[in-house]
Amino acid sequence: MNLRASLAPLAFLLACTRAPSSNETVLTFSGSALGAEGTLVARQLKRFMQLNPGIRVELQRTPDDASQRHQLYVQWLNARVGNPSILQLDVVWTPEFAAAGWVLPLDKYGPEKSKFFPATITANTWAGQLYALPWFADVGLLYRRTDLVPNEPSSLEEIVADARREMARGGGPRYGIVFQGARYEGLITGFVEYLGAFGARIIDDSGNVVVNRPEAVRALEFMRDELYDSKVAPLEVLTWHEEEARFAFQNGNAVFMRNWPYPVAAMSDTAQSPVAGKFAVSPIPKSATAPNGHSTAALGGAQLAINAYTDHPAAAYKLIAYLTAPEQMLERAQAVGQYPTRFGLYTDPRLASAISIPMESARRAIESATPRPVTPIYTELSEILQIELHRALVRQAEPRDALDAAAAKINALIERTGMRKLMRARVAPPPQPPDTNGHGE
Amino acid sequence: MRKISRLGSEARLGWTLVAPALAVIALIAIFPLGWTFWESLHLHELRMPWLGKPFIGVANYVEIAKDPRFWAALGHTAFFTVVSISLELLIGLFLALAMNRVFRGRGFVRAAVLVPWAIPTVVAALLWRFIFESQGGIVNALMIKAGFLDQPMVWFIEASTAWVPVILADVWKTTPFVALLLLAGLQNIDLSLYEAAAVDGANAWWQLRHITLPLLKPAILVTLIFRTLDGFRVFDLIYVLTGGGPGTSTEPVALYTFNALLQNLRFGYGSALSVVIFVITFALAMLYVRGLGVRLGGDES
Repeated sequence: MNLRASLAPLAFLLACTRAPSSNETVLTFSGSALGAEGTLVARQLKRFMQLNPGIRVELQRTPDDASQRHQLYVQWLNARVGNPSILQLDVVWTPEFAAAGWVLPLDKYGPEKSKFFPATITANTWAGQLYALPWFADVGLLYRRTDLVPNEPSSLEEIVADARREMARGGGPRYGIVFQGARYEGLITGFVEYLGAFGARIIDDSGNVVVNRPEAVRALEFMRDELYDSKVAPLEVLTWHEEEARFAFQNGNAVFMRNWPYPVAAMSDTAQSPVAGKFAVSPIPKSATAPNGHSTAALGGAQLAINAYTDHPAAAYKLIAYLTAPEQMLERAQAVGQYPTRFGLYTDPRLASAISIPMESARRAIESATPRPVTPIYTELSEILQIELHRALVRQAEPRDALDAAAAKINALIERTGMRKLMRARVAPPPQPPDTNGHGE
Repeated sequence: MRKISRLGSEARLGWTLVAPALAVIALIAIFPLGWTFWESLHLHELRMPWLGKPFIGVANYVEIAKDPRFWAALGHTAFFTVVSISLELLIGLFLALAMNRVFRGRGFVRAAVLVPWAIPTVVAALLWRFIFESQGGIVNALMIKAGFLDQPMVWFIEASTAWVPVILADVWKTTPFVALLLLAGLQNIDLSLYEAAAVDGANAWWQLRHITLPLLKPAILVTLIFRTLDGFRVFDLIYVLTGGGPGTSTEPVALYTFNALLQNLRFGYGSALSVVIFVITFALAMLYVRGLGVRLGGDES
């Protein structure tokens, strides 16, 4: 079964290597194409070709690791290579590729922007133009042990209280809450969620760096206090990525966990998971002490964009539109459990059986999703923050000093790269979520 | 007159004959170096094509000089190099002296000692990472058992403790190499010197200080060159073990350069960093080679 699944894309590739006929448009598609995902992509591309006889699509393998794929793309695009004609972008790359002129604006093709979750559109918009269509979404979720904490916590403070209570009880889990605290991108996604919960941001709509405002400092202090004051989070999380957190939670060692949706499937399997049937997910709540705080999830996921050097942009858009159409998204959710970026699908019963968490929780989480700063210099900005946050969390620096240092460095970065004007010009207030009542439920 | 012209033509022939070799050296050593230097004089950010690629003179070098993260990384590198090499020399000398004795199974021991050296650095680093893992790591388990700790310690979140696995891993892995180099040096020492010293009533300590160490100096210096240059370029071990963290407290210059060059794709600045590392290691090498030359002369007299 596994073998067949992994051979399918190969067979597909071979099928594609027949001699090109002269009037055929040839596109190359690069995207995650391993295992079940590969089979799915191959199937969808094949269908697309049947519907569009004049277009042939070839699959180009790129590394599955995001930063490796990024490096490869950047090298190719610097060399102005037209293949792959369709790029799979991580959510934080779109502005970088757009500002560099490496991907084409999509607005002239009339994308159905209003059908997607607003945050996923904001994340792919640069200088007022849409540069990529969201393919699937990833969001930060709060996992909790329902046998210990039956009700969804309504605030961060409640999480801490619940965690302390359960840890104090004899025989309870060793850890209160586990998350991704190592010095890497995962730390930023978690931080963005705490920031939102306290009503703070990294960069505001006018392009000002606001990561050292008092609300942001309080958010970071809250994180630090979870480690050293209430001690609900173990110090180990400062070296943890997604998988270490999952191990701890899956083995029943933690009351709460912050993670992406992916562990749900493995953890629901009674054969390998002691917590199967004993956990639930919900959106990460806001802080009860912050009047402007709101439930916030970091937004992840993949987008599709057109290589600016391709000879066939119109055909490329056709393929992107096809892959991001409701039917294909639904099929993707059914095959590999990835969350659609079109909110309309979240009333479709077929989606309910496809994804592993209640559709309503998923929709609310994605609605509360906030893009990380939408800027072409995101990667370097993130590196600055990773270092300063980590310094604060390992107590090398006070949260305020760390965030002041981060703000100063980010401002210097903005100056150095000439981004100041562009980021001010960006002011396009994010569209309102389609259903803002969902949060309080 | 004729003689001179013949010499000239011989020299010409000589140059012609070495020309291909020189061309290869120029192509694989001097050209990339020159190119890197040329890059380092430009603002060249692969991720930000809108900045163009203007010539900015020494601005990248000025940025390095003002960059606290660079100076910190340089400090970390120097610290790592000095501490790990001192330990390696000390333990390596001890091992070499032991292996130089005649005993049964000496060949086997000599081969066995080399095993850590044969393990790829990345694998060794992962191994040490597991050993120092807070939960289930063997170090914490042993220290708790022995009563030094009452709960598991997280080694990688404090600068002082994060260095421990890094240095231990390097010492564990490289001491065999040091021992081997020193052993080669020991075997060059004429045994009759020891016999003469013994006849004169010199004890083992006196023999070590006045025969072994002075005659081992060339070998020690060769070891120092190798290890200093390696230490200065340390990358994979720290990349795997600590990633330079916590914060940037264990980040060496090579990791910082990798980061600028290949993560952030800042080709201009990254190239300038590479040139700086090259100059430093080259200077160190020259220093040692000079030292080595002088001492070799001194030993001969």
